[in-house]
Amino acid sequence: MNVVDSIDVEARRRAASILRDVMLRVLDDVIKGRPPKLVIPKRTLSNTIFDPERGILVLGDDVFERNMLDMGETRRFMQTLLMASIVYQALVENEYPTIRDLYYRGKHTISYRDLKGVLREENTWDEQAESDAAIRDIEVATGLLREHMLILSKEKGKVVGNMRIRSGPDVIDLSKLGHGAYAIESTPDLIEFLDVDAEFVLVVEKDAVFQQLHRIGFWRQYKSILVTGAGQPDRATRRFVRRLNEELGLPVYVLTDSDPYGWNIYSVFKVGSITLSYESERLATPKAKFLGVSMTDIFGDTNKKPYLTESERKNFIIKAKERDVKRARELMNYTWFQTPRWKKEINMFLEKKVKLEIEALAGKGLKFLAFQYIPEKIQVRDWID
Amino acid sequence: MSRSELEKFREMSVAEFFSKYREVAGFSNPARALYQTVRELVENSLDATDGHGIVPEVKIYIERVGGERSWCRVTVEDNGIGVPPTVMSEAFGKVLFSSKYVLRQTRGMYGLGVKASILYGWATTGNPVEVQSSTRGSDYVYVKKLYIDTKRNEPVVVEEAQFRKNVSWHGTRVSLIIECDWQRAKARILEYVRRTAVIAPYSDIILQTPDGEILFFPRTTRKMPKPPRTAKPHPHGVDVETLKQMLRATKAKTLLDFLESEFQSVGEQSALEFLKVVGLKPEMKPRRLLRSENDGLLVTMVEAMKSFKFRAPRSDYLSPLGEELIKIGLKRMFNPEWVDAIKRPPRAYQGHPFIVEVGMAYGGAIQASEEPLLLRYANKIPLLYEEKEDVSYKVVSDVNWKQYDIEMPAPLVVLVHVVSTKIPYKGVGKESISDVPELEAEIRNGVLELARRLKRFISAKEREAEAMRKILVLARYIPEIARSLKTFSRPPESWKPLEPGEEKDVVEALVGLVARSVTLPRSGDNPGRSVEDLVRSVISGVKVS
Repeated sequence: MNVVDSIDVEARRRAASILRDVMLRVLDDVIKGRPPKLVIPKRTLSNTIFDPERGILVLGDDVFERNMLDMGETRRFMQTLLMASIVYQALVENEYPTIRDLYYRGKHTISYRDLKGVLREENTWDEQAESDAAIRDIEVATGLLREHMLILSKEKGKVVGNMRIRSGPDVIDLSKLGHGAYAIESTPDLIEFLDVDAEFVLVVEKDAVFQQLHRIGFWRQYKSILVTGAGQPDRATRRFVRRLNEELGLPVYVLTDSDPYGWNIYSVFKVGSITLSYESERLATPKAKFLGVSMTDIFGDTNKKPYLTESERKNFIIKAKERDVKRARELMNYTWFQTPRWKKEINMFLEKKVKLEIEALAGKGLKFLAFQYIPEKIQVRDWID
Repeated sequence: MSRSELEKFREMSVAEFFSKYREVAGFSNPARALYQTVRELVENSLDATDGHGIVPEVKIYIERVGGERSWCRVTVEDNGIGVPPTVMSEAFGKVLFSSKYVLRQTRGMYGLGVKASILYGWATTGNPVEVQSSTRGSDYVYVKKLYIDTKRNEPVVVEEAQFRKNVSWHGTRVSLIIECDWQRAKARILEYVRRTAVIAPYSDIILQTPDGEILFFPRTTRKMPKPPRTAKPHPHGVDVETLKQMLRATKAKTLLDFLESEFQSVGEQSALEFLKVVGLKPEMKPRRLLRSENDGLLVTMVEAMKSFKFRAPRSDYLSPLGEELIKIGLKRMFNPEWVDAIKRPPRAYQGHPFIVEVGMAYGGAIQASEEPLLLRYANKIPLLYEEKEDVSYKVVSDVNWKQYDIEMPAPLVVLVHVVSTKIPYKGVGKESISDVPELEAEIRNGVLELARRLKRFISAKEREAEAMRKILVLARYIPEIARSLKTFSRPPESWKPLEPGEEKDVVEALVGLVARSVTLPRSGDNPGRSVEDLVRSVISGVKVS
């Protein structure tokens, strides 16, 4: 019994063909006696550019050639080609390897003789970090994301809300999952949106807060879709949020802790991350808005009353650590944090040197968070873009 | 003081002086005395052989004698030209009597050495020296036992004999009993003999020690340097005393003739010009200058000679070792990975010609050390003491080896050989050479030139090692890369896994590619395997799973 759905088949056919074309070019070089090489865009900070028009991080034009005959690159070259052959084989054999599977499939011993004739051994790779890097090399060299190559990873993101989707052969109603939630699959592009009755998407940083808002019925009351990436969001969660925004036209609000770590999670959703900037075009949601918790929510502003009383503030805020301050200063260097609102936010943080977790607002009362704080902020458009 | 009293005083003082102040000649203690005795005897033996075109065989025996007393018998035998019986007594029994008081490059310059040993032996043990010698072509071996009457500086023969030869041997065998300290002298003596073997690789040298060891340094070549020849003095190199001696001895009738015939590098033209400068008539009789009223004139003349521009002194009567022999000597003793030598062009200082030769050895069996091992030689004699006083040490320790890609500690030997009719020693001990600027410059030129050659060798070796490493790094992945690439030759529609060995054509193509990408400089005696062979050897018999 081999259930292969049509969306999968099409994805496989396309990925295998692109991957094969790239590798046949390398093979052709070898046969014709040309130094074989892979042209790979550089995945470095210096080659990561913020595109202000699209509002996302993109990979610059810098490429490097991974030349097999360059001693420093030969091992990586071998690893990339080995990984490519395993992925190709998995694609044509209708498998769904995880990145961990691929690590094990490719891990074996290379034997060779040194120039004295002594037999020596070396592993194709020792750690998964090496095989993961080989996958990323293939992604940038081919323009295929690993989701396109049907490579699975651990599911981390969750979603609930008033919508129905098709995943594989099944139709799933995201409003009928009880206390649980739908785990966003590794291949979110294979999800089909069927019908949706929602006005916005709320992304919360923390899984615990997601569960609280789900149980208290937030999404039902406010006709929304509730998503969490449970900390740093994985690629699937980001792609899923992006599709909700782009294909369904739903506004996306992000709710994180009030600290540089939380701001960074918002930033990853909105503009993309530096290590994966080559995917931002597909993963980033440039229209995502930072709903809170903001410094002005804690301390108030001209024309704005703080959400916390003097004594609550005293109880809930936490002193910022040295590394928080350092991280905040780093964020100030990024173009997309150089808007007047962000400058004000970061400067306030640097001045007060305190932070606040979302749980603190739930501590003030879950109902306050769900039915007052969040809707009121959306209502008065008190967010940072 | 009358003239005759003065003469007598000087003559008496010579042997007595060495007897009383023996440290001056290197006999300050029983250890040093033993070393010095071996050295003097060996150097005489080598002068009597290679100095006359004979391939040397030198046998050194050191034995303990005299029971409880710290006495040694030192015997050195050679196959040299021998000492004629008529001069034997004087040669060994009269201080400052020597065949070496001519301008010729010899090992022992003043002819004091062996007589100092005889004086020392007589003073410390009361034993005479025993000499056996036979010249080439003589039918007899002459034997004498003698000591030196220090007061009269005369030999006193205790015993003498002559034997008909029944073998074709010629040469000299000298045997001395002296107070000694073998334990403290041992290291120096072994080092001395080793270093002598380096500089005279055409010699057979045998050393038998009191410990019963026999060290044999067999010759590795029969090629010898051209023997040194006697030369006339150069006007830049004479002093008043020498000039007086020459004026006394000359057969020349005029000053012009004297200058032309008794000096080197002086022709008629330069002699006339010179005489004009000092204001002397060319036809003047040479002996007139010896009159006491002309003493001042002689001083003026010597000073003028030093500054007058004569042709440079000739160097063709010097006997350098030659680059080949230096390399042979270093190779034999150190078995290095790399060795080279350079003979600098002849130069002169103060009228004395000299030639600097430098040898350098690197790697192989040489022990790495913080400073290069410096082997100093003067007129083929190893210099062991006072290293840090020596001009060669100054030059070598000034070298910034890093600049030549040599990281200290390194397995490096530097040999410096100076030959000259007059080595500018620092002291009477003759163990270190002064930093005469002309000499220092030549030593530096030689050392730096060899350092540059060594740098080229090291960099070629590094490039070779780098090429080898590249072969190893690239080749090992060929089977894996070939198999991965070959996988893509299967289209998805007709997919099946690769058969074993199906990627062979890709392997072949990759072997060619890798081989072409490496250039292998051959630095040394590396047997010439082709790059492609080396690439194949890395992956031979290796399967891809």
